[in-house]
Amino acid sequence: MSSILTKKLTVAYEENLVVDELDLALPHGKITAIIGPNGCGKSTVLKAVGRILQPRNGTVYLDGKDICSLSTQEVARKMAILPQSPQAPAGLTVGELVAYGRFPYQRGFGKLKPDDKKIITWALAMTKLTDAEFKDVATLSGGQRQRVWIAMALAQQTDLILLDEPTTYLDLAYQLDVLELLYNLNRKQGSTIVMVLHDLNLAARFADYMVAVCGGHIIRHGTPEEVMTAEVLRETFHIEAKIVPEPRTGRPTCISYDLI
Amino acid sequence: MTGRHQANEAQKRKVALRNLAIVTSCVALLILLFIVSMNTGYIKLSPLDTLRILFGGGDDRENLILFDFRLPRIVLAILIGAGLAMSGCIIQGISQNALADPGLLGINAGAGLTVILYVLFCGANSFLSIFTLPFLALAGAGAAACIIYVLASQKGQAAAPLSLILTGVAVQAGISALTTVLAVKLDDSQFEFVAAWQAGSIWGSNWQFVLALLPWLLLLIPYVLMKARVLDILNLGDDIACSLGVAVRREQRGLLAAAVALAAACVAVSGGISFVGLVAPHLARRLAGPRHSILLPVCALAGAVLVSAADTLARASVQPTGIPTGIMVAIIGAPYFLYLLAKSK
Repeated sequence: MSSILTKKLTVAYEENLVVDELDLALPHGKITAIIGPNGCGKSTVLKAVGRILQPRNGTVYLDGKDICSLSTQEVARKMAILPQSPQAPAGLTVGELVAYGRFPYQRGFGKLKPDDKKIITWALAMTKLTDAEFKDVATLSGGQRQRVWIAMALAQQTDLILLDEPTTYLDLAYQLDVLELLYNLNRKQGSTIVMVLHDLNLAARFADYMVAVCGGHIIRHGTPEEVMTAEVLRETFHIEAKIVPEPRTGRPTCISYDLI
Repeated sequence: MTGRHQANEAQKRKVALRNLAIVTSCVALLILLFIVSMNTGYIKLSPLDTLRILFGGGDDRENLILFDFRLPRIVLAILIGAGLAMSGCIIQGISQNALADPGLLGINAGAGLTVILYVLFCGANSFLSIFTLPFLALAGAGAAACIIYVLASQKGQAAAPLSLILTGVAVQAGISALTTVLAVKLDDSQFEFVAAWQAGSIWGSNWQFVLALLPWLLLLIPYVLMKARVLDILNLGDDIACSLGVAVRREQRGLLAAAVALAAACVAVSGGISFVGLVAPHLARRLAGPRHSILLPVCALAGAVLVSAADTLARASVQPTGIPTGIMVAIIGAPYFLYLLAKSK
């Protein structure tokens, strides 16, 4: 039962304020997509929520507690964060990388216990990687490699998974594949998923809740129908967009747009 | 299900066996080198002679050669190789930079500067040099590393590995320039002494030096081995490491301090041997893969093999003075490193 709340969150690199007094509530048990133009601070928000970046001001609350008051290990048992295109060291196998997800639960020399092994097997099965367990991560395709990182996050057994552009550099089929996987995790395991996405239509199709960010401020948050409007996109991306409901899913879809 | 389970177990046994084979062959190679090295030098001792002397059957002259000259030097070469290699492995692991080595943290440069200052003010043949020089070199190495760390830290934040390396390159260049300026002021005998030190001649080869180096290694190596898992995670990048619950900056600081102390203690005794920390981790990674629980021990063994092989060759090649070991390490190591680079493309 994890939930995230930010109060007046301010993050800055040197003197540049990237996120300015942001109040954000991420709904529990839902898929949230953060959208916004390049350099608008969406990755920064994700990293600050995931305590990778120290906020200049304000607080992130995880289950009602200030995230800075919790030990990093405690947080790691509640929340997993996947940065954009992570790199695995050469020669590491899929099974070994997924096993690293058990790190927050291990002590001493960290021999894997039967429980850990069961969870690793489960994480591999969920991501359809059972047959790839002994393959070198470096030899896999981009889409499979993204699955391995998600499997590692699954092995971490957290209620919350934060992902920064999990579909970048993937072709159309693999983008869908990764998002379907996350969707199933949310619906079957009840995981809360928060991701930064570039593709507006995919965001509207898979997210229950959307947050449009521009210049470190929230332009609009709410259901896809509330956020995917011509007005919000004009303010966020400075584009004139044509939005229609997608015939199959009924979700709002941007079928064409122009620069203003 | 049981079929898969059996296949998994078989795979794991295979990996365990392979690791055992790697460690065993490294140890065997080291023992072989140890034996060859005992027989190598200006005065030849056959293996049988060596055995006889080891078991107390030698005359005074033979005892002196083996116990007071050769053995301490061989043991030192092994310890220095292991220490420098592990130090390099740690630095490459936390910076995720395969080209990082202890030299980048100013260790060689800092130690070199204090040595030249000492020689300049106290003379090369001062009675005390054999005892004070390692401590001075250690202090110099530590000071240089601290300066780099402070300069690389930004406004109260701990230094990130990348800025550490970049700052290291700059500071190292500065210290080297200063060293060169000072070298001009040396007379011939002083210059010869400093040059020999910088070339890494393992000059202080007696048992006191072994005893001075050993506590450092006995203290630091277990700490580093205990942190093998943390190194594995840090090797995935700062963000993932944070997500997995590693206190990134704190662990990096502790491991960096251990790496600096290891390398500084070695360089203080050996002089400027620099290539081991770069090459040995590469070699070990090819043999043992990226997991530090096996990588670190294999790396230490690879470093020990490299330095003792270089030292043996150095003593065998030019008589009676020998080539400095540091130069021999570079002669063996550089072509191998180029080969690795060519192969990885």
